[in-house]
Parts: sequence; structure tokens; C-alpha cells
Amino acid sequence: MLDRGSAPGAGVDRGAPLVAVVGPPNSGKSTLFNHLTGLRQRVANYPGVTVERRCGTVNLPVGPVELIDLPGVHGLSPRSLDQMVTRDVLLGEFEGDRQPDAIVLVLDATRLKSHLMVAEPVLALGLPTLVVLTMADELNRRYGALRRSSLSEELGVEVALVNARDAATLQPVRAFLKALHTGGEEVRACPIVAVAEHPEGRGAGRALPMIDLFAERRQRARELGRSAGFQAPRPSRTNERLDALALHRFWGPVVFAGVVAVVFQSIFAWAVPLMDGTEAAIAASGNYLGSVLPESWFRSLLLDGVWAGVGSVMVFLPQILILFFFIAILEDSGYMARAAVIADRLMHRVGLQGKSFLPLLSAYACAVPAIMSARTVEDERDRIATIFVAPFMTCSARLPVYALLIAAFIPAQPILGPFFGTQAAVLIGLYVMGVVAAIVTAALLKRTLLRGRSAPFVMELPPYRLPTVRSILTRLLDRTKVFLRRAGKIILAVTVVLWVFTQFPRMPGGEAPPIGDSALGQAGQVIEPAIEPLGFDWRIGIGLVTSLAAREVIVGTLGTIYGVESDDEEAFELQAALQQDLDLGSAVALLVFFVFALQCMSTVAIMRRETGGWRWPALQFCYMLLLAYAGAWVANAIL
Amino acid sequence: MKRKPETAQKPADRMLADVPLEEEVVLVRIDVAGDDVEPLLERGIVPGCTLCPVRHAPVGGPTVYRVDGVLVALRRETASCLCVRSSLEAAGVLDSN
Ligand SMILES: Nc1nc2c(ncn2[C@@H]2O[C@H](COP(=O)(O)OP(=O)(O)OP(=O)(O)O)[C@@H](O)[C@H]2O)c(=O)[nH]1
Ligand SMILES: [Mg+2]
Repeated sequence: MLDRGSAPGAGVDRGAPLVAVVGPPNSGKSTLFNHLTGLRQRVANYPGVTVERRCGTVNLPVGPVELIDLPGVHGLSPRSLDQMVTRDVLLGEFEGDRQPDAIVLVLDATRLKSHLMVAEPVLALGLPTLVVLTMADELNRRYGALRRSSLSEELGVEVALVNARDAATLQPVRAFLKALHTGGEEVRACPIVAVAEHPEGRGAGRALPMIDLFAERRQRARELGRSAGFQAPRPSRTNERLDALALHRFWGPVVFAGVVAVVFQSIFAWAVPLMDGTEAAIAASGNYLGSVLPESWFRSLLLDGVWAGVGSVMVFLPQILILFFFIAILEDSGYMARAAVIADRLMHRVGLQGKSFLPLLSAYACAVPAIMSARTVEDERDRIATIFVAPFMTCSARLPVYALLIAAFIPAQPILGPFFGTQAAVLIGLYVMGVVAAIVTAALLKRTLLRGRSAPFVMELPPYRLPTVRSILTRLLDRTKVFLRRAGKIILAVTVVLWVFTQFPRMPGGEAPPIGDSALGQAGQVIEPAIEPLGFDWRIGIGLVTSLAAREVIVGTLGTIYGVESDDEEAFELQAALQQDLDLGSAVALLVFFVFALQCMSTVAIMRRETGGWRWPALQFCYMLLLAYAGAWVANAIL
Repeated sequence: MKRKPETAQKPADRMLADVPLEEEVVLVRIDVAGDDVEPLLERGIVPGCTLCPVRHAPVGGPTVYRVDGVLVALRRETASCLCVRSSLEAAGVLDSN
């Protein structure tokens, strides 16, 4: 009955009602969406987390409802790509989607006054709407108040007051969705008066009427709030104390540095027992397999190829999880937005804006979502500059490479007692090199190819929130899955192929050749001249080639190569093997190479998608490769 | 305290960037051009709203303002395009109207 008959979107059940979740950034849309659909959209405590449309199904007893989670918006006049998505979906102009049948408008109850401003253009769409006020818990805790029924009367639509993090409070939302099937009275198209049109063309001349438009809109929002008995919550004391520290002119930067130091030290120090455990488990399982399997090509493939290759990468899972644990805490607590404020000065110098800082920070996890989240950057040139430099930020795929080489070549010595040692210092050094490269490159770009004025910076600071155990655990679980999937697909495939190439051409007696004479060795020797100036031999060369697929593949590759090479029945030591092959200079050269080079096909692919062509990814790849080669050459030459 | 001489006609307007911390002011005019004004307006920074600088970020970074109870960071250059008057004076003007 609600189907408008137009083409359904990809993955959208044709018959099911289509409901869009709309609202200002950071109001809890994705949290609500996740609870209703059981999916795991990314949620974090800063504005601009969701940048894409995402569909999910809510299975109700009466039938399914298709829910669409959308990027946060303050209105329906988009200035950035993510806001464009929301507008297009709401108007039914999104490619392949029909217009939603109903809207769930999510507003933060603690910010009701400013959030009600977005209600006006959304209600004016005339679709059946449910207004969901989130953060009911915070409103109560900070002595705010509001009369839900009065607001509902004033707006002419149902209003629900919920805590989006608590599934038990979401019953009214389910009731609304159910009513879309049964035609219950919860579903009311809003009767609100026609809204003054947004002035079409923008520009200096039109600025004035726009100001009036919004001034009136704010006035109406305030009146709505007043008649609903809205009492703004009191500012939280804890929040103010935390901000006094985080943004303090002296302690602010000190806290920032302290956080960074703890993160890196723990990646080495805390991870050791966990890593030893993983390593022992992998070695033990390998030895066990070795003892039960008869001597055969299969045994060699399994142990020398797969166990040595995939196993060498798996060892680094604990370190990656520790990194993600800290990222989760920083993102969920609300500190990220403060970090963006502190960094704005620097970003401004470079020619970017504080908003670019959030995507860049998320690039520490992975460049791919970071490049997508740069959609929130309003100025197109700033956006391109941001995504161009994002791969310089040290993503978690580099961590296994760094950790392996640092552990093998940098002796662990304390610098500041047990809190900070040499290995952590070198690791920070590598991260800093990446940051410096990003800054210099961005500054260059903004002064040449992407010259333009710098956009204004308006950043809302969310309140600090205690991260929930549940959200941290789900993040770690998801990350483990991603890691295992990559290990199980890319790395497994590469190690198997590499192993095959080490087995041919067969010796006269029919056994496998010495690795230097194998097909792999010969291929390596073709590469060798190109990388010899950097101090690398053919094994590293093969690793560099395979790492083009994904950075951590080099660890698996070296594991396989050394695994095939070692005749020992016992598990071999990847670190010890590397120490034979590289000296300090070439090890540092390899580290430097990984700091700069763009060895990641997913990044190249997403760059192509987000810039709409090959031009930028090609330039980026060549530029980063050149920098990597030059940097590695210098490192090898001076050390 | 002495009242300001009546010759001033209207209360002295200042730029938001010059307002000391913790002084509450009311926005009277926005001198930002074109496109750049909309991000401000959408967040409720429109003439008539109350603003209160609460904190300067380190090393000359943006300043954090409380706008109708919500924290928003603005750069100095933006804040110097926002014309404000102290909330007491603004109230007085409204009364006299
Ligand atoms: N206390 C409390 N926190 C909430 C509630 N709803 C969401 N949050 C928190 O608010 C933050 C933002 O939630 P998200 O779901 O990511 O918000 P969003 O609207 O999807 O944000 P964007 O994708 O950036 O537009 C997260 O830290 C949530 O844990 C709520 O009802 N109560
Ligand atoms: Mg979201």
C-alpha cells in the first residue's frame, strides 16, 4: 500500500516500507539503526561519522521494514558530499532508490533548541514522520526536562523520548514501524505549514535573506521548545573539568603527547605476553601438524608455505587489537573533537581546515574509511588534498611490518623508566615521519594544484561520554574478523602461490630446487638490481612486490620464503632470519620505504571511486613511490 | 557606575573575537560573506542568539563558545566577523522597542 512503485534500491525489499533515519550529526542515528536492524554501523562520539547511505532490515512480527541510516545534516541544502547523499535519499533522487515512505527524525534531546531547526525542512517533506529524541538519559541526569506530549501536539507528529543505547526504550520506534504495515494512528503525515524556500543560488548578494530565514527558523524552534516545556540540561561539571584539561594551553598538548606515548608503549610492552602466547600457539600447532603428517608436498605446502606465511602475520593480531582498543576509547569518549580543535591551527597553516583532521586521524586505523569520511569536508579542493595525504598516516596494516623490523633491529632499552622505551620511540618516529610527509604534501598541494581559499571552521564539541564495554568489544571483534579475513584470503592466496613458485623447476632427482634457483628466486633476481641501492636482496624484493596487494603481506611472504629455505624441522625464527639478511641501514631503509609507499590496492580503488577517475590515484601512487624510494636510499646511504 | 552618554545612540557593538572569556553576549549582525555563513546559521548562530566564550584552544587555536548551551569552536577570523553586544545592553534595547 505504501509502495510508490518506483524502482527499489539495491538490496531493498520491494514490498517492505522504506524508512529513512535523518537528523543532525552525532544525534544517535546509527546507534538507533544498529539496535533496530542488528547491524554494526560505525558509531563514534563526534559529528560526521556516517558518510554513506546504509540499508538494513528490521524484522517485525507483522513483516519487514527497510531502514536507511544516513549522514547527519542540519538542513536539506547540502554543501558536502555526505550531506548530498542525505538530501538525495530524502527527495527520492538517490540513484536506484525510491523516496522513503516514512521518516524517523532523530534529534538530541539535550540540544533540542538547535536541533529543532532541522525539523522544519524535514517535516515539510510531508512524509509520515516519527520524531525520536535521543539522550533521554543525559537529559535526566543533568536536570533537563521536556513534555513529550506537548511537543507532539505542537509538531503534529508522534514524538518518542529514548536512550538510543538502551534497546528497552525503543518500543515506541518499533510501534511506529509496525504501524507502517498496519496503518496505525502513529503514522501521521505532518500537517506543518509550508516552509519558506531555501534561497536557490547562493552568493554574497543572497546572504542576507538567508540569515533572516534561519533567524526566523530559530525563533520558531525556540517557541516550539518553550511550549513543550523544554528546559535545557545544566552544563556538566565533569565535562567542563575535562575540557579545562584537554584544551589547557600547557596541559592540553602534554595530555595529547602522554596519550600518544602510552598507546605506543603499550603496543610493545603490553602486547608481549599476548604475542608470545599467539606465537607459541602457532608454533605448537605447526609442530604438531609436522609430527602427524607424512613427508609430502602437502606437508611442505602446509608448514613451510601456509603456517610460516599466515602464521607470521597472525602473531601481530594482539598489537593491532591494542591499537584499536585505544582508538575506540578516544573516538567514543569525545576526545577526537578536542584533538581536532587543537590541531586546527596547524591545519590552517597547511591550508586545510580542522575538519580534515578527523578523517586523517581515522586513517590510523585504515586509509579506506578515512578517505570516505573526508566527504564531510565541504571544500572540494580541501577534500582532495585530505584524501591525497591520508595514506601517509600510519594505518594498522603497517604495524606488523614496523613491529617485526623494530623488534629485530632496535634493542629494547628504557628511556623514561618502564613507561617509554627505545622501541616505542622508534615507532613514534615512524608515525611522525608519516605525519610530516602528509603536512608537507598537503601544504604543497594547497599552494599548487589545489590552490583555493581556506574554508571556515565550525566544529561542534560533543559532551564527553563514557565508552561502553559493549561498543569497545564489538569494535575489537569486528577488527579481529577483518584481520582474520585478510589473513585467510589475501595472505593465504599469496603464500600458496609463492610456495608453488619455490617448488619449480624440479631438480634432476625430482625434489624441490634450492630457493635461489627456483622460479621465485629467478623472478627475485630480476627485481634485485632495482632495489640493490636500498640495501635489499631479492627476498625483500619479492616481499615489496607482494605487499602491493596489502602492506602486511610482506610479512607473510618473508615467512614463506624463509620457511621454505630453512631445513629445520623446528619452527624458524623470522626475526633471526631477517637479521641475517639485513643490516641496520637496510632495515631502516625498509621501514622508511613502508612509511611512504602506497602499497594498498584497496586505497587505490577507493581513491578512484572518490575522485571519479584515475588521475589522482595515479599521481598519488607515483609520488609516494618516488618518496619511498628516495627516503629508503638516503636511510641506507647514511646508516 | 555611570551610564554611557546618550550621544552613543545605540550600545557599543563589538566583534565576538574581542569578547573576554565568560562574558555572555548577543549576536546582532553577521558580516560573513556568501556560502560561509550557512554553517553558522544551521547551528543556530543567527542574530539574536547568545554566545559565551568559554575557552581558548592552545597555541592561538580556535575559541570554544557556548551557543544556546552547546559548545561550538570557531576560529578567530570567523569570530571577528560576528558583531555582538553584551546581553544586558541587548535586553535593554529590546525593552525600549
Ligand atoms: N548517553 C547516550 N548516548 C548516546 C545516545 N545515542 C547515541 N549516543 C552516543 O552518541 C554518539 C553518537 O552516536 P551515533 O549513533 O554515531 O550518531 P550519528 O547520529 O549516527 O552521528 P553521525 O553519523 O556523525 O551523523 C555515540 O557516542 C553514541 O554512543 C543516547 O540515547 N544516550
Ligand atoms: Mg551515524
